[in-house]
Amino acid sequence: MLAPGDTAAPVALRQPEGPDWRLGDSIASGPVLLAFLETDCPTCRLAVPYLKRLAAALGADRGRVVAISQDGEQETTELVGAYDVTFPVLLDEDLAASRAYDPRSVPALFLVDEDGRIERSSVGFDKAEINAVAEVMLGKLGLQPQLIADPNDGAPETKPGCSSRHLEHGRNASAPAVDPIDLMPQKGPRASRLEIPDDVDPYEYCMSAGFSPYLPVIPPTAERVDAFLGDIPLPPDQVLGLVPPCYGQATVEKVAANAVMAGCKPEYMEVLFPVVRAVCDERFNLHGVQATTHSATPLTILSGSAAERLGFASGAGVFGNVSRANSTVGRALQLVMTNLGGARPGEIDMATLASPGRFSYCIAENHQESPWAPLHVDRGYDADESTVTLFAAAGLTVVSEHTARTGDGLLRTLAATLATVWSWRNCGRAEAIVVLCPEHATTLASDGFSKERVRDFLFENTGVPLYAYEHEGTEGTQLRDNYEEIVIDGMPHYQKFADPSQIMIVVAGGTAGKFSGVLGGWLSGPKGSQMVSYPVRF
Amino acid sequence: MMPVFVNPLDERAATSRSRAPRLDGLQGKTLALFDISKPGGSVFLDRLEHLLVEKYGVAGVVRVMKPTYTKPAPEPVLEGLRFVDGVIEALAD
Repeated sequence: MLAPGDTAAPVALRQPEGPDWRLGDSIASGPVLLAFLETDCPTCRLAVPYLKRLAAALGADRGRVVAISQDGEQETTELVGAYDVTFPVLLDEDLAASRAYDPRSVPALFLVDEDGRIERSSVGFDKAEINAVAEVMLGKLGLQPQLIADPNDGAPETKPGCSSRHLEHGRNASAPAVDPIDLMPQKGPRASRLEIPDDVDPYEYCMSAGFSPYLPVIPPTAERVDAFLGDIPLPPDQVLGLVPPCYGQATVEKVAANAVMAGCKPEYMEVLFPVVRAVCDERFNLHGVQATTHSATPLTILSGSAAERLGFASGAGVFGNVSRANSTVGRALQLVMTNLGGARPGEIDMATLASPGRFSYCIAENHQESPWAPLHVDRGYDADESTVTLFAAAGLTVVSEHTARTGDGLLRTLAATLATVWSWRNCGRAEAIVVLCPEHATTLASDGFSKERVRDFLFENTGVPLYAYEHEGTEGTQLRDNYEEIVIDGMPHYQKFADPSQIMIVVAGGTAGKFSGVLGGWLSGPKGSQMVSYPVRF
Repeated sequence: MMPVFVNPLDERAATSRSRAPRLDGLQGKTLALFDISKPGGSVFLDRLEHLLVEKYGVAGVVRVMKPTYTKPAPEPVLEGLRFVDGVIEALAD
């Protein structure tokens, strides 16, 4: 495979419709990005909209993004049509160009500089690489920098591709074509209409038809759904995401139908849509969250001014039945997950106990009563933005501390509960959220604790005493060689969390009562479910 | 007038695939033991490997492991299962 510094091989290929294209004609006046693609490779198809976006950012120089198809004219023309591709797409009919550049897999990107040398080369889909290529090209052409691959657009950060055609041995080109898979389809089919006989109770119909067999819903009549769609500035067939584990398409119309059933108001869609995008984000790993025997389910935390504007509760009773917005958005997400994601209890959803969060699990941060910056700022967003943050959470454990007058005392009480998340002796496994009530947050701030210091203190003082591991054969003991030994209050402990970032701090709840809460998570990090945040917008 | 509902379900038709042909026996076969990486899976598979070779005349055993049990197996892991006669998966703890 040609690497940075190598001389780019000549390319002279024809386009399905349009003039022949030669690399030598283009590089003299600026860099050229060559993208080798297969038309039926899901990762290649995932990359095409980003190449389009880069080409558009290059403006008059959009022809500097050039795709080289390793497939025939018919398949290539289908790809161009399906994605409305506006940059040149060439046909590598005898795979000579593919052999010359020799990528081991596709998509493969080769950025060729003005001297005809390879400046960057990569295989697979990689948002960081696409943005790095864009930065170089836009900079060389004197254009403003632009983010081409948004880290929070629902697509994975990276995705391996398919073996390059020129390396496929024994490929049967005449084998029956398989419908290509789109990892991020832009449009989906419209929902069918169901005529309900007059003598059928519409509420009972929704339950027996599997729309929500466990709790009655508002019937998703065409009138109600159409009224929703009239208030949403997106086309009904636009796909917000594919919902794991069965990857049903969450079109705007389907999500609206489920939101109607949950009792949402149309204006809540500004929050529900990013929630659906976030839950479909590969980093969240809804596939695992929905199939595990653990009790975790997505908790939505709304942060920012959108909460007050749309009527989300963040104060007294925040985890309970206090607000239509919280209750119905949380419920709508659960309906989307079962009706479009396919994980029905007792079938794919194999939770041993589950939790009440499976009905609805949505809170807003009480930033008015918080002495610190809000959650979305911790997550890298601007203070004037609003976000939804999803966390695969087990049930809430409430911690009373009505006596401690110092931050030190309060945090040690919370640390004792934090030490029990997932399972007492198991360390470094799960993330946790500490939901501080306003009174406790005030105690901490009055005692000079910043939010970061609270997190660090909890990290340093949450541990499991070594005597707990005398009971061999209990969960966590077999992993003790991996744990970090620390001293807490003069006693040896294993450190509960692997890193301070495994503990998140959120202020929520009413101003009366010194009850905070601890939420344990599921298996966390890249090998489990990662917390994801998405900006509130349609 | 009959009420009309908008179908809120995933409407794709389920597709079915035929099952792989079953082995006629274990003698002389190459098997993969697929560990999804849950605790204790290797203990079970170690014992199974021993029994398959000693008692059932299995010619070879390939051990394949997922990097995490929380996600589907990535392509390079599945690649390791492609050239064996059969696969036994240790599903859980």
